[in-house]
Amino acid sequence: MRIKSKWLVILLAMGLVLAACSPGGESEETTTTGGETTDTTEGPTETTEPTDTTGAGADIATDIGVDLEAGTITIGLLSDLSGQFSSLVQLIVAAHEIYWEDVNANGGINGLEVDVVALDTEYLSDVHVQRYEELKDEVVAFGHSTGSPQTVAIIPQLEADGILAIPLTWYSGWTDPTYNNNLMHHGAPYCIESMNVISYISEQLGEEATTLAIASVPGDYGLDSMEGAKLAADALGLEIVYDGSGQILPGDEAAFTAVAQGIVGADPDIVYMTSSPLQWGPIFGQALAAGFTTAHWSGAGPSYNPAFIAPDSAIRDAVAAMTTWGSYYSFWSDDSPGVTEAKDLLMASGRVDRPVSAYLEGFVEARMMHGVLEAAYAAGDMTQAGVLAAGKSLESVSFDGIAPDETYVGTPDEQLQRATNMWRVDLAGLDDGTHAGEVAVEPGYVSDAAAAFEFSEACYQLEG
Amino acid sequence: MRGRPLLHTSYQSDQALLDSWTKKVTTGLFVVFLILVPLGIVPGFQFLAETDWLRLLATVCIFAIGALGLNILTGLAGQISLGHAFFMGLGAYTAAWLGAPPGALVGMGLPIWIWLPAAGLVAALVGVAVGPTAVRVRGLYLAFVTLGLVFVGEYLFRRFVTITGGSQSGRSFPVFEVRLWKEETPLISFVTGGPWFGFELSAQAKTFYFLLALTVVFVVLAKNLQRTRVGRAFQSIRDRDIAAEIMGVEETQYKLTAFGISSFYAGVAGALFASFVGRMIPEAWSLFLSVEFIAIVLIGGAGVVSGALLGTVFVIILPRIVEDFTSWLASYVVAGEGVFVPVADLLVSRGSGDWGLVNTQAGVAPGLGVAQVNLVLYGLLIIGFLIFEPLGLYGIWLRIRNYWKGWPFTY
Repeated sequence: MRIKSKWLVILLAMGLVLAACSPGGESEETTTTGGETTDTTEGPTETTEPTDTTGAGADIATDIGVDLEAGTITIGLLSDLSGQFSSLVQLIVAAHEIYWEDVNANGGINGLEVDVVALDTEYLSDVHVQRYEELKDEVVAFGHSTGSPQTVAIIPQLEADGILAIPLTWYSGWTDPTYNNNLMHHGAPYCIESMNVISYISEQLGEEATTLAIASVPGDYGLDSMEGAKLAADALGLEIVYDGSGQILPGDEAAFTAVAQGIVGADPDIVYMTSSPLQWGPIFGQALAAGFTTAHWSGAGPSYNPAFIAPDSAIRDAVAAMTTWGSYYSFWSDDSPGVTEAKDLLMASGRVDRPVSAYLEGFVEARMMHGVLEAAYAAGDMTQAGVLAAGKSLESVSFDGIAPDETYVGTPDEQLQRATNMWRVDLAGLDDGTHAGEVAVEPGYVSDAAAAFEFSEACYQLEG
Repeated sequence: MRGRPLLHTSYQSDQALLDSWTKKVTTGLFVVFLILVPLGIVPGFQFLAETDWLRLLATVCIFAIGALGLNILTGLAGQISLGHAFFMGLGAYTAAWLGAPPGALVGMGLPIWIWLPAAGLVAALVGVAVGPTAVRVRGLYLAFVTLGLVFVGEYLFRRFVTITGGSQSGRSFPVFEVRLWKEETPLISFVTGGPWFGFELSAQAKTFYFLLALTVVFVVLAKNLQRTRVGRAFQSIRDRDIAAEIMGVEETQYKLTAFGISSFYAGVAGALFASFVGRMIPEAWSLFLSVEFIAIVLIGGAGVVSGALLGTVFVIILPRIVEDFTSWLASYVVAGEGVFVPVADLLVSRGSGDWGLVNTQAGVAPGLGVAQVNLVLYGLLIIGFLIFEPLGLYGIWLRIRNYWKGWPFTY
C-alpha cells in the first residue's frame, strides 16, 4: 500500500543517516602544558574498581585521574576566575601551572606528569557544585576550592565520593573534624587571624586604643572572622562600638553606605572589616570621604587587594598610612629558600607582569598536593580514596619559608596554626619595583589570645 | 484524509495535540531517543551519556518547565513578567521548608509528593495575589511591577535566614527520593546509581529520567492549555484585552489565572532546580535568572510550546558550546596545522600576552572569558531575534518547513 511503502522508505533513509554518523562517539584528546581543559573519551560509566597495572610504576592502584600508561595525573581546580576574588585567584591558578610545569620538567612525580584543570566557579555556590560534578570523574583530587560557603556546599559530595580537596579559604571549620574529613587546612584560620591582627594593632597603638568597630559579609568567611574579632575584644578589653557582622551585602551599594556611616558614626580607634576587596575598598573610601581619618583599619587577608595601592588608586596613601594586615603566607620581599625559588620560577615563566605575593598561595597549595601525591605513590594507592587517605595522614609538609609547616595528624588543637605574618604597605618599594608593596613588620606573630585559645570546634558553627 | 495531513474532517483531529502523522512519529521518535540517550547506546550520541552532559540535559528539563510557565504568561496571555525568578525562589524555599530534614534551618522532612506540588501551589497563590496589578497596568509598567518583585524577593530571602540560610551561605535542599512517609530507605531513589530494568544507570541518568517524565507531563498540560477555553481566553487577552472584555472574556479572572498557572510552573521549576543543584544562595534568584527565561521565550518563539522548548535547549546548551569551542580553538592553535590557524589565533588567546577576542583563562589573558561571552551573546541574540525573526527559533523552523513543503516550487 502506498502509505506503508512511503514510510518504509523514510525509515530506511533515516537508518542510513544514523549509520553514517561516526561510530563510538566524539573522541577529542587535548593536553597542553598551559593547563587547559583536557578531554578524554571514556565509556558512559566510569570504572570505580582500582586497576592494578604492571607498567611503569609497578603495582600502584589507580581509578580516576591517574593514568599510569599515559603517565599523567590530573588535578582539578575549582577557581573563581570571574567573580569577587578573581583578580587574586587567577594569579594563584597561574602559580599552580608554573609550579607543575617545573615539576614535570624535572621528572614529575616518579615519572608521572601532573596536569592541572581549572574551571571557573564565578564564586557562586551553585556553579561551584556543577563544576565539582563536571570534574569529579576526571581528577584524582582538587588542588583548591575557592570560597568558604562554596566549599561547604560540596562537602556532602566530597564525603560521598571520597575525594580530597584543599580549600582556598581559611575558615576555622577546616580544622574541625566535623567538617574536614575530606579537606586539608593550611594557614591560621580567620578567627585566629582576627585575634592576632587586632592584638597586634592594639599593642602598636597602645593604651589610647579602647574601641573597636567590626563589620563583615555574611556567610562563614565573614562570620568566622567576626567571632575571632569578638574573642580578641574580650581578651584585650576593647569595647565594640559598632557591630556590622553580616551587614556588608555584596553588590548592594546601600548596604556599603550604611556600614560606612555606622563605622564613622561610632568613631572607633580600630576598625576590623572582613569582605572581598570589592566591598572593602569602597567602604574604606566612603569613610575617608566622610572625613574619618583617625582609626587604624584592617580585615581578614582576602579583603586586601594590590589594586588598593595601584598608582592610580585614590586610597593609596590612606591604605599605606592607616592599615596593617595579616597574611597566611610569606611575601615577595622575603628571601627564604622557598620564596626565592618561587620568585625565580615565576619570573622565568614570562607570565608574571609584576610581583604580587598572592602567587605564593598557589605554591603553598601546589606543594601540599605534591606532598600528598608522593605519599600516595609511596603507599602504592593513587585512587581517589588513596590520595584522600594519604592527605589526611600527612605528618608534616614543609614550604621552605613560604608558609609555616603543616601537620594533619593529632588533635585539632595540635593541628591549629596560630601564627600570622603581620605586614604593612610600603609604597617606596612598590614604586621602584623591588617588591609588591608589602613589607613584613612581624612575621610569625602569635598573640596571647591566640596562644591561649583552646580549639576543639569551629569558631563559627555552620547552619543548614 | 490520506496524503492531505492539513485537511481535518472531525473536531477530534482538528483539536488533536499532534495533528498529523509526521508530528506523531517525530515526537514519538524524539521521546524514544531521549530515553535511549542516557543508556549510551545511540550511535553518534554516546557523549551525551557522560555525567556533565546528562547534568546539562537535566538542567534543560528543569528550565523547560519554567520556560513553559513564562510562555503561558507572556506568550499566551501577553502579560510581561520579569518576576519569574521570584516565584522560582518561593517554590524552592517552600520545598526546603517542607521537604528538607529538620536541623538548624527549618525543614519538616516530608516526602516529595507533598513538597513538590506544594512548591507550585504556594508560588501560584502568591502569583494570584500579584495578578491584580496586571489588571491595572499593562506592558512596560507591568514589567516594572514584576521587576520590583524580584528585588523584594531578594531582600526577603536574605532576611529570613532560618529558611534560606542567609546571604552567601545558602542551604541544602531535599533530594529526589520517593517515600511514602518519613521512612529511612526510600521507595525509589533518583540520586544513587544502580540497576533499573536490567540497565546499570548512574545517579545522573536516573535524575534525568525523573525530570524528563515531569517535563513531558508539563509539556502536555501546556500544549493542552492552548486548545481549551482558558487558553483561547488568554490569547484573546493577548491580542486585544479591551475587545476581549467587551466580548465577555473576564479580564481579571483570566489574568489572575494566567499568573497563577505560570507561577505554579515557576514554583515547581524552582524547587526542582534547587534540589538538583543541591545548594543555593538567596542571591541566585536574581534578575539575571528572570532575564534568562525571557531570553529563552523570546529566542525560542513566544506563544508556542515548541518555541519554549527550542529556546531552552538553545540557551542552556549555548554556554557549553562556547566553552568547548573556545578550548577546541585553543588546541587547534596549539596543534599548529591547518589553513585557519592564524584566524583562530586571532580569535582566541591562550595566556597573558597573546591577544584574542575570547580566552580560556578569564582575566589573566586579554579578551572575554567564557562567562562574559555568554552574557554578551544573550544580549546579542535577544536583539537579533527581535529585529530579524520575531517568531524566534520556531519562526526559523517555520520558514525551513514551508520552504521544503513547497520544494522544488518554493517560489
